Amino acid sequence: MSLTHLNTRGEAHMVDVADKQESRREAVAGGSITMRPATLALLADGGLPKGDVLATARIAGIQAAKRTHELIPLCHQLALSKVSVDFRLDEQRSCVEVTASCRLNGRTGVEMEALTAVSVACLTLYDMCKAVDKDMLIGEIRLLSKQGGKSGDYRRGEMPSSTGAQIVTDDCYSGEVSLGPHADSRSVRVKCLAELRERLGVSELEIPVASLARPDVAALKLALKARDANFVLLEEGRILCAVNQVMGGDDTPLTEGDEVAFFPPVTGG
Amino acid sequence: MIRIQQAPFDAGAEQRALCEGRSDIGAVVCFTGLVRDFNEKPDVEALSLEHYPGMTEAALSQIVSEAEQRWPLDGVHLIHRVGRLAPGDPIVLVAVASAHRRAAFEACDFIMDYLKTRAPFWKKEHTRHGAYWVAERATDTHAARRWESI
Repeated sequence: MSLTHLNTRGEAHMVDVADKQESRREAVAGGSITMRPATLALLADGGLPKGDVLATARIAGIQAAKRTHELIPLCHQLALSKVSVDFRLDEQRSCVEVTASCRLNGRTGVEMEALTAVSVACLTLYDMCKAVDKDMLIGEIRLLSKQGGKSGDYRRGEMPSSTGAQIVTDDCYSGEVSLGPHADSRSVRVKCLAELRERLGVSELEIPVASLARPDVAALKLALKARDANFVLLEEGRILCAVNQVMGGDDTPLTEGDEVAFFPPVTGG
Repeated sequence: MIRIQQAPFDAGAEQRALCEGRSDIGAVVCFTGLVRDFNEKPDVEALSLEHYPGMTEAALSQIVSEAEQRWPLDGVHLIHRVGRLAPGDPIVLVAVASAHRRAAFEACDFIMDYLKTRAPFWKKEHTRHGAYWVAERATDTHAARRWESI
């Protein structure tokens, strides 16, 4: 493993990508800005003096992604085919979570563009809110996933495939919002396996049975969707479900301590 | 005998173990599945296999006991590998012993058809241009359905 931006003499140089093969590149980065609950409430209600904070931060993030090469010395100028910046207001942690995804068909990766978009969107949020809150904290700016290119796919929380590590689902293989292996006896433990885990970015989480409208799989799916809209994927007809490791369906009843796994059709053999 | 393992297996050794000390077995059918270097894309460089520990073992033993109910079998060895595999590597072994060949052939075929559609394994193929999860095949589902009418 070597640093690609250093030549054999250890000097910084721009990597020649003329001979690299074009491929579909995509990168997703995330970050967050923590603020006082009152600031978050103002932001949600549109009550801040500088106006529509999220719309402004979104445009700032998109513009920044397109200008990454002007900011980071050895980055190439890229014709991005897509940039999107999204925000999620997290009242429990009193923060705004920012995610940015960039895409292009080309010869270089787009993770710097996604990271720049997140950084500048966070800075813009700070600027828009600083009149009422100077204690805001920007943090956790990180690459979440990356697809395409020679170095292969990457997803935070997974071991790189080149290590030859065993790919099995267990507690040490959690996705980014996993709550860890500490089973709460009043909850059901939800596992997402294989492709579904990668699409959701979630490996395992726990849902209190008392929070379900009814103690069954259908109600669990509703609770998961309320928690994160991406769980709408569970409605795809091909996604299967097992309760305590036995195949189940929407009307399978759940009790405290149950293990519910969602996964795509099997492809072994 | 059902095993999930990362390590390679020796089909010959498994077949010998199945018959050891017995002279009432008249037929052993031994199927080995291998990693191909082409599948959904032409340049597969590696395969990673994920499974659902616990449910996998339960599903496989259910399949083997169904086979034992359908045919008079004298033994079954089933091994499925997980983790990262390269083209040419063996993935799965199903060795079935019986007094007569027809039962051994059919039971081996049945076990593979059910394994492919009911055991919680998932394949991810790695190519030079990236990795993707292998999609389920309708032909596997049809193959497994054949046994429902018998």
